[in-house]
Amino acid sequence: MQFGFTYHRPASVIELCELLNRYGAKCKILAGGTDLIVDIRAGLKKYDYIVDIKNIPELNELSFSKQKGLSIGAAVTCSQLIEDSTAQKKYHLLCECAETIASYPLRNRATIVGNIVNASPCADTAPGLLCLDAQVLIKSSSGEKTIALKDFFEGVKKVKLAPNEFVSKIIVPPASAEAKGAYMKLKRIKGHDLSLVSVAMAVIKKNIIRVAIASAAPTPVILPDFSKNTKVDEIINVALKTVKPIDDIRSSKDYRLHMIGVYIKRLYEQLIK
Amino acid sequence: MKTITFTVNGQKYTREVEEHKTLLRFLREDISLTGTKEGCGAGECGACTVLLNSKPVNACLVLAVEIDGKEVITIEGIAQDGKLSPLQEAFERHHAIQCGFCTPGMIISAHSLLQRNPNPKREDIQEAIEGNFCRCTGYLQIIEAIEDAAEQLKPKKSKKR
Repeated sequence: MQFGFTYHRPASVIELCELLNRYGAKCKILAGGTDLIVDIRAGLKKYDYIVDIKNIPELNELSFSKQKGLSIGAAVTCSQLIEDSTAQKKYHLLCECAETIASYPLRNRATIVGNIVNASPCADTAPGLLCLDAQVLIKSSSGEKTIALKDFFEGVKKVKLAPNEFVSKIIVPPASAEAKGAYMKLKRIKGHDLSLVSVAMAVIKKNIIRVAIASAAPTPVILPDFSKNTKVDEIINVALKTVKPIDDIRSSKDYRLHMIGVYIKRLYEQLIK
Repeated sequence: MKTITFTVNGQKYTREVEEHKTLLRFLREDISLTGTKEGCGAGECGACTVLLNSKPVNACLVLAVEIDGKEVITIEGIAQDGKLSPLQEAFERHHAIQCGFCTPGMIISAHSLLQRNPNPKREDIQEAIEGNFCRCTGYLQIIEAIEDAAEQLKPKKSKKR
């Protein structure tokens, strides 16, 4: 490891808030560590304090209720979500996204909230969560607030989160339960890889089409809602005007744009036609 | 330094550990279990796969302090009483090993698969070892070895060779 740090493992949210107030930007929350440890090891990030949240019971909760929808605590791993039969039944699209993340050993550590807070443009759960209108519950010692996931992303690896705040959970509302949906992810190899571009589509309440796209802009993006009668070409037009893909080591901009059209067409055929 | 208590391959330990040390380096340097290998050190290659509370994880991305109160199984814990497991024997039989560097992680991932799913289809095997890179033999012998081991481990004596 490039740098040393002091490790804390609070047992409650109160203790966690105290640590965040005391150390602010000098500390970083550790959940799965599948992004954080890589960055620290490579010397890209340096923190004096690492705060492990896995010992806080309420952050390990994964629950569903008809009134509140699906609640995913900050320490809930991808595998926990995927293996949850209620999540599979009610929010299949989200589980499908989570299943495409990395490999099984990584999914046993990586968390859903971590995937969002890390705010990579290629976060696999983001398109699913955006289509399902997910909300982010942010807590600090001075209280809590809920913001829509689409307003939480600020840029590449940047989210709206003050140093004394943390994401306590993600809430996927009951209105999105049992939405029909699917996720398509373009990779360089069949095995585990980051997406070159990916698209999720959901049909909400049987009459709204939602499309979200990752790896095609500084943040994952959601398109405005479409009515069920919208023609596929119109959706593709809006998508191509909304995204801002770049050329990089994984793919060219043109290929990304092309595949967005292909995936929207395929998803439309599968879900709507 | 933090003091942690944990179990590795059934043996209980209490040790002092530097807080920034990974589980991988801790196993190799402090517990002298060098079967677990370091490949990429970034969660890509799976050479460092171990079981943490029965689930495969990349030991290079786990801090040693995080295993406090937990149970770890490494490749050294797969053979019992000096006898290779049926899975390890199948790897030998199928020449699913060349340089051997990926083998410990590969065995751990396959061992975990067979515990979760005693009758894996070929796709299940491919998915289970998706996070384990082999750079010499290719994957075919490895997949065949795992299929064979699954067959050997079935309760009925229907041996397929």
